[in-house]
Amino acid sequence: MPSWLDVRVWWARATRRWRTSLALRTIAITVGLSMLASVIVGATIAISVGANLFDARRDQLLTLSQNATVQVQLVFDRAAEDQTAELDPVLQDAASVIRSAAATTSGGTQFAIQVAPGQPVSGSQITSRSPNLDVDAIATPELAEAVATEDESRVWSQSAGVVRDDGSIAPTLVTGSKLQVQGRDYVLFLVYDISDTAQTLAQIQGTLLGAGVALILLIGAVTWLVLRLVVGPIQVAAETSRRLAGGDLDVRLPVRGDDVIATLARSFNGMAESLRGQIVQLADLSTVQQRFVSDVSHELRTPLTTIRLAGDVLYDRRHELPADSVRTVELLHTQIERFETLLADLLEMSRYDAGAVEMEVEPVNLVRLIEDEIEAVESLAATKGSELRLHAEGGWFEAEVDPRRIRRVMQNLLGNAIDHGEGRPISIWIDSDADAVAIAVRDHGVGIAPADLERVFDRFWRADPSRQRTTGGTGLGLAISLEDAALHGGWLEAWSAPGAGSCFRLTLPRRRGRSITASPLPLPPDDPAERGITMGGDHVAD
Amino acid sequence: MEQRILVVDDDPALAEMIGIVLRAEGFTPSFCADGSGALATFRAVRPDLVLLDLMLPGLDGVSVCSALREESGVPIIMLTAKSDPQDVVGGLEAGADDYIVKPFNPKELVARIRTRLRPAPRVSGDLVTIGDLELDVAGHEVRRGATKIALTPLEFELLLALAGKPEQVFTREMLLEQVWGYQYKADTRLVNVHVQRLRAKIEEDPDNPRIVTTVRGVGYRAGS
Repeated sequence: MPSWLDVRVWWARATRRWRTSLALRTIAITVGLSMLASVIVGATIAISVGANLFDARRDQLLTLSQNATVQVQLVFDRAAEDQTAELDPVLQDAASVIRSAAATTSGGTQFAIQVAPGQPVSGSQITSRSPNLDVDAIATPELAEAVATEDESRVWSQSAGVVRDDGSIAPTLVTGSKLQVQGRDYVLFLVYDISDTAQTLAQIQGTLLGAGVALILLIGAVTWLVLRLVVGPIQVAAETSRRLAGGDLDVRLPVRGDDVIATLARSFNGMAESLRGQIVQLADLSTVQQRFVSDVSHELRTPLTTIRLAGDVLYDRRHELPADSVRTVELLHTQIERFETLLADLLEMSRYDAGAVEMEVEPVNLVRLIEDEIEAVESLAATKGSELRLHAEGGWFEAEVDPRRIRRVMQNLLGNAIDHGEGRPISIWIDSDADAVAIAVRDHGVGIAPADLERVFDRFWRADPSRQRTTGGTGLGLAISLEDAALHGGWLEAWSAPGAGSCFRLTLPRRRGRSITASPLPLPPDDPAERGITMGGDHVAD
Repeated sequence: MEQRILVVDDDPALAEMIGIVLRAEGFTPSFCADGSGALATFRAVRPDLVLLDLMLPGLDGVSVCSALREESGVPIIMLTAKSDPQDVVGGLEAGADDYIVKPFNPKELVARIRTRLRPAPRVSGDLVTIGDLELDVAGHEVRRGATKIALTPLEFELLLALAGKPEQVFTREMLLEQVWGYQYKADTRLVNVHVQRLRAKIEEDPDNPRIVTTVRGVGYRAGS
């Protein structure tokens, strides 16, 4: 089925349009409500006008019928006094009297004189009627009954419909009144065509309907116009806010007139101005900070270089120095190195804080990189008694990373593992999936207490101040590593079980700029060596 | 013969200390404390190598480096207090052969200097051809037909390393070790920048190199 035929598609589009368009919603609600009001008002007017028209017409026709009845009764009464008179001329007289008395309606009047129901049918009786009038089909028995049984000589009426020659139905009013001829009761039916009244009513209703439709259209148009006037500036404001949020700090709303929209525009512009001022101020501060870092870098490093050179020259000649100076020179040498590392870490941290860090991405085989790093620390690990084991389950491809930063992270994690590994084996895992590559470094040392685990990435934080360090950490290593991981769009996470060691897992996206949702390695990774005997059992169960 | 080294640094203490280290290693140092006088001192001293601080009063180090390169292929080693990528790359692009980040130690400094001053390794034969270029190893000259192409000693050594084993792919690390003398983990931007500078001189269309080609993800090689 093509999509344009699908009702659901149209429904979905309509509901979306309804949700998103304020103008559509407002116009629809306004028009709908005014339509409802118009229908109620119009119907009330139409019904009441119709009823009034009909009542007035009926009263008029009843008066006519009353007159006609009185005059016909006179004709019959005169004929009764004149015993010799023939009946036929009398009836013709009566008919002409009726016509003249009741012929005022445009639709024409028909009549019928019948014996009233309930009268004996014997003897001579008179009947007279207009040609083609089937009065029994029009007048209900109830009407004749009402005329016959009531003593008062009043005129009764009833609405009816007469089928015209062309098949349409003409609205009709039938009146019935009592006549007395030769001691018998007769009923005079007069049938009036009142289609002129119905026509008038239809005209009024048509006018009402037309006026209603015009009113609703007008209301719709006015609503639309008002919306344009009010929503237009709001749309402009929304678009301007979006651009402002997008970083275009110089956009402003046009201010016209002195109304509420202008007030909104002025407030908005004020807000934008103050925002711009603050952002510019912050940017200035950040520039000052970066320049400061750069200046400190230069100013500190130049004297440090001199000290370093001097210290090293002395250190190289320590054999020529008196014995008590040797230790001094050695201390000087190691502490200069420590100071240097600390300064380098501090500056790196400041660069991160100033946001002045740039990634230099190149395709890097992370397995090779890790092998290099492991090789570099192998002798140090050996002096501590730790064996380094690499489990390269994946990662044999070129990942887009900044190798300098990843090396630094690895140096940190391996250094920490060796420091805290208690001489037990250290495992390094690398694995990858379609999106990410993960590296985990697991030691089996004392581990980190749960409360401390949250703080391992804090600056200058040390798990155990009394612990002797061999790799000369500055206390900034993990904080910088965390920033390095974040710069890649990756994660650096820690796991630890006191007594069982700890594990740090670095997860990086394979391609620069991609986001990652899961790590290819569990934290900590499953260690077949640790599972030991239970591993066999698992296989049997499988 | 003692080799002369010009130290361009505005910090008198550091310059003096570097001088002490250099003298101890048998070099003859001379000094210049600002950028604007560096070129004049260079012409007067004709040093075998220049140690150049990047932040200098007068003319900044990168400009001094460019000016030196205009008239000489003398090895230039930058001394930089900043390891910010832009500064280092700026200096390398201006023609510096190598750089040392402050603070450095004497051994590091001397090792860098010695690498740049050592004679080029002898390759079998005195004439190496690569593409339409001829390398005169003894004369340290590169010719395309009759036209001589002026290369700095480092650029010559880089081209010779690649041309010595045509078709072999050199990783950046291999080149860093062979040409710059780094044993371990150095800045691969050194290779990238100098390959670009070399191409600008020897390639007929540097954007579409035919003599030194890139092997994506691995490194470079001479010949396609």
